[in-house]
Amino acid sequence: MHPDTAASLPNSATSQAELLYQAQQRKDRQFQVFVGATWLIILLFLVFLFSGPIKIDRQFVADNLLFVAGGLGETIRISIVSITFATLLALLAALGRLSPIPPVYALSTFYVSLIRGTPLYLQIFFFFLALPQLGIILPGFWAGVIALSLNYGAYMSEIFRAGLSSVGKGQREAAIALGMTPWQTMRRVVLPQALRFAIPPTGNEFIAMTKDSALVAATGFVHELMWRATKVGRAQFHNLEALIMAAIFYWIMTLILTALQSRIESRLSKGDR
Amino acid sequence: MASIVQVSKLDKYFGRLHVLKQVSMDVAPREVVCIIGRSGSGKSTLLRCINFLEEPSFGTIEVDGLKVDASQKSRERRQLVHDVRLKTGMVFQEFNLFPHMSVLENVIEGPVTVKGMDRAKAVALAEENLDSVGLLFKKDEYPNRLSGGQKQRVAIARALTMEPRVMLFDEPTSALDPELIGEVLNVMKKVAKDGMTMLVVTHEMGFAREVADRVLVMADGEIIEDSKPDNLFSKPKDPRTKALIDRYRTGSG
Repeated sequence: MHPDTAASLPNSATSQAELLYQAQQRKDRQFQVFVGATWLIILLFLVFLFSGPIKIDRQFVADNLLFVAGGLGETIRISIVSITFATLLALLAALGRLSPIPPVYALSTFYVSLIRGTPLYLQIFFFFLALPQLGIILPGFWAGVIALSLNYGAYMSEIFRAGLSSVGKGQREAAIALGMTPWQTMRRVVLPQALRFAIPPTGNEFIAMTKDSALVAATGFVHELMWRATKVGRAQFHNLEALIMAAIFYWIMTLILTALQSRIESRLSKGDR
Repeated sequence: MASIVQVSKLDKYFGRLHVLKQVSMDVAPREVVCIIGRSGSGKSTLLRCINFLEEPSFGTIEVDGLKVDASQKSRERRQLVHDVRLKTGMVFQEFNLFPHMSVLENVIEGPVTVKGMDRAKAVALAEENLDSVGLLFKKDEYPNRLSGGQKQRVAIARALTMEPRVMLFDEPTSALDPELIGEVLNVMKKVAKDGMTMLVVTHEMGFAREVADRVLVMADGEIIEDSKPDNLFSKPKDPRTKALIDRYRTGSG
């Protein structure tokens, strides 16, 4: 390149880069505006559909809105209790999966295989309907919680296994070299790091669980969202309105939890990893 | 003088690979011994056998009067291995600081969790050692905010705070950018000057020459040379030693 043009280059190069950058920014903004607008159009279209072409019984909605909303508490209660047990089970199963002791390893893999090999719906019925034949009668709530915990525990064990494996060998060696016992190494060094790794995916599982908890309605004795929606919907043959109400509640719940989840995630990623 | 570390007839197999072959060596109190050799010569494995991060296949290791046979398997032996680890401090190539703990927490972790030391006492000891590696002002930082050289100096402080009898260094500068090697070597020199017994696996010939009382050369799982650094560098006995020294001489320009 000629020395003269090279001398004038830095200035024009920066302004050129600036122009490119601004063009990219504009493009990104445009994309987001388009996406938002399309969402809005779809929503408005749905509102239009249900206010005209599709007949919605507004009186029914008004009469039953509070009754259906009353199920939110039970849905959240089942989900929180189940995710707690599921997390413990998942951690145990993951530790078992990494254990050098054959029976422990076998127990863990057997549990995960059996649970992942059968439907959640069947598992809920099993604890509610099959156990009474053996003289074990569980309330619907607990049958649901046990089934959800066992089911999610099996799937989530994979998350915790990945979390435990993400802690490098060097970390364990440093702990051992300091004289830590295997239990101290696990408690002080490995678990804190593994759990931090596992928190975001556990949040995802919790969000999924709030929706799978709807299956517990099948027992007929847990008055959560889905149960309430189907009850009033069937009784008055207004399933359309009832299910739409329940769907909106589930959806809003998911939106809120997802927002919480991404806040937790961004806080964790800012941390000291 | 009675030796503080004594390795006798140590064998180590990785699967079918014979990585240590009847290795014997000893270290006197306050002695600084460097172990050099090409990668794969068994020098790191030898070091890692001394605090049982690697389980030796055959042979005996004695650290400060605690004698452990490779073949034993018992509850007393587990206790013995634990006691050996308390007498040895280890510094790793990759630092291995705990990322979820601040610098100070890293350094007090051993004394508090393993020895059950009173927290205030551990903090005082830790701060003293952090000061001596020049990093007291970083005590509340997390490791990911430190440079490689700073991390390694914290790792040295962490090991020292356990008040070991022997310090083991496993290629402490090999993972560092060249401009950060000096600060770590300077800290190690200071530790040596304070009278610590040190066993150092290294590629730093300058450090070996300047600081070591003795240099061991390893090749193919054996110690092929054991001499004072001056003799070793001026007239190496084994041709493999000569090749090793020449390589570094040309390598360092």
